Amino acid sequence: MTVLNLVVKELWHRKVNFLLAVLAVVTAVAMFIAFFTAGKASERETARLMLDMGYNLRIIAKDTDINQFLLTGLANETMPEEYLEKLASAKGISYNHLLATLQKRITWRGVDVVLTGLAPEVCPPGRAKPPMIYSIKPGELYVGYGVAQALGLKEGDAVDIEGKAFTVAKCLAESGGVDDVRLQCNLREAQEILGLPGQINEINAVDCLCFVEGGDPVSILRKQIGLILPEAQVYQAKAMATTRAKQRQMVRNLFAVIMPSVVIACGLWIGILAIMNVRDRQQEIGIMRALGYGSSRVAVLFLGKAVVIGLFGAILGFLIGTGLAFRFGPDIFKITAQTIIKPELALFVRSVVFAPVFAAISSFIPAMIAVTYDPAVTLREE
Amino acid sequence: MVVLEGVSKSYPTAQGKVEALHEVTLSMEKGEFVVLCGPSGSGKTTLLMTVAAMLHPTTGSVTVGQRNLYQMSSRARAKFRAERIGFIFQMFHLVPYLNVVENVVLGAQAAGRSGGSVQARQLLERLGLDGRAHHRPSQLSAGEKQRTAIARALFNRPKIILADEPTGNLDGDNATSVLGHLSDFHRNGGTVVLATHGERAEQYADRVVYMSEGEVRS
Repeated sequence: MTVLNLVVKELWHRKVNFLLAVLAVVTAVAMFIAFFTAGKASERETARLMLDMGYNLRIIAKDTDINQFLLTGLANETMPEEYLEKLASAKGISYNHLLATLQKRITWRGVDVVLTGLAPEVCPPGRAKPPMIYSIKPGELYVGYGVAQALGLKEGDAVDIEGKAFTVAKCLAESGGVDDVRLQCNLREAQEILGLPGQINEINAVDCLCFVEGGDPVSILRKQIGLILPEAQVYQAKAMATTRAKQRQMVRNLFAVIMPSVVIACGLWIGILAIMNVRDRQQEIGIMRALGYGSSRVAVLFLGKAVVIGLFGAILGFLIGTGLAFRFGPDIFKITAQTIIKPELALFVRSVVFAPVFAAISSFIPAMIAVTYDPAVTLREE
Repeated sequence: MVVLEGVSKSYPTAQGKVEALHEVTLSMEKGEFVVLCGPSGSGKTTLLMTVAAMLHPTTGSVTVGQRNLYQMSSRARAKFRAERIGFIFQMFHLVPYLNVVENVVLGAQAAGRSGGSVQARQLLERLGLDGRAHHRPSQLSAGEKQRTAIARALFNRPKIILADEPTGNLDGDNATSVLGHLSDFHRNGGTVVLATHGERAEQYADRVVYMSEGEVRS
């Protein structure tokens, strides 16, 4: 009669106790899986939503007149286009989605517009992400809503700017911002029109820093970028960056509070059931001790039972947790759910390893109580 | 040979110290059938537990076959119980989720033996339980439960059987049957120490020891 035999027979005999204990582990594992999956999904969803808000980092030439930049939103000084490559190829940086632009206010057909040349967006090596913004081919012109309305432009119209021919590729939707008065074209063509070959006046990016303990993210970014581009200065759209960081932090805090609470509650639940089980089995423990079972064997009986419960709970909990994430995830995370909510083998392995350990730890005190029962006392009780 | 020398056992209680055994000196020969008689609370069970290496005396020593039980480690005492001692209790103390055969072989693992279900079935046949091998304790009569407990006690071929009121919950026929099996064990050279407050067992005994208030009276 092996220990496993005894454990399985006892589990079968006290089914309610077994099912309640498995339920505790299932609850803990399922909540962990569901929260973990939801937490990851939420983080990505937040990142996507924040990306939709636009770039939050602006890198401009060191000599730019800051007053004028803040008043007009346009940098009056330019910097070499190679700065983009320098930034993109640097290691250990905390930003992504680098977009070089050359922007200048001009009057076109009697309307004040911001001519904006866009380079294709670049990502640092190994951190490729889908671009946040469209790429404009040579000869194409993207016209802001206000300009299109003012000049009666529509897609397919042939136009020229300072003698350079374009086709209106897109009339953009109303944004309520400066984009409504932009004429956007390929960077190279904007450089030619403005007579600034190889020059840009702004690099936009998205910072990847959340809350930094004991430090200000802008200072860190300035330090990082300052080492790479001493001739540049950095401005952060703080409200946007802070919202993003707060949202991420909120999800992490939620996870950090809820999961330990669930784990502690389930651990206590298993522990109480194990104590009840030990009390039920006092005489059985007594007879085993009388038959020569040592303390370690008695402890193994209870801890072994906890491990079996943990294994069952882990498998069921994983299936239920993943099922919950599948069922409710797409309704909550509408943008990213289809691509990121999927069963994670690593989580299954973690569940199968940690849940039995968790159940065994919860049953440790009851097991020690069982070991310390005095058989001479329990066998005399009728 | 079992020798108790000056064995006392006291328990602290809320009402003060209670002395369950007081300066007991007693020896039992190998192969002897000893009946401990006395009223409830006279110390019979405490004495049995002390001989069984399960209850450390407050003072005195217990020697079984030249081995001082309470100078051994608890692991060694557990091994000693598994190999040398068989128990029978008034309340049977069968494991409820194991069937009869499984209950009988339960002690085998502790004694370092594996398997043994064939021997267990032979033993059950001898005790008239061959048709009950796969029944759970809850499906057995009191007499069958006690005979299962006897089979479990005999399974590891112990040198000593300690029986605490083994007929206390049985009717006359079953009590006679149980005592008969213990007598068989004794006739085959085993030592039996049986605690009872009745008189039925005395006819099987080589010696009757009377106890009262934790002391041996004769």
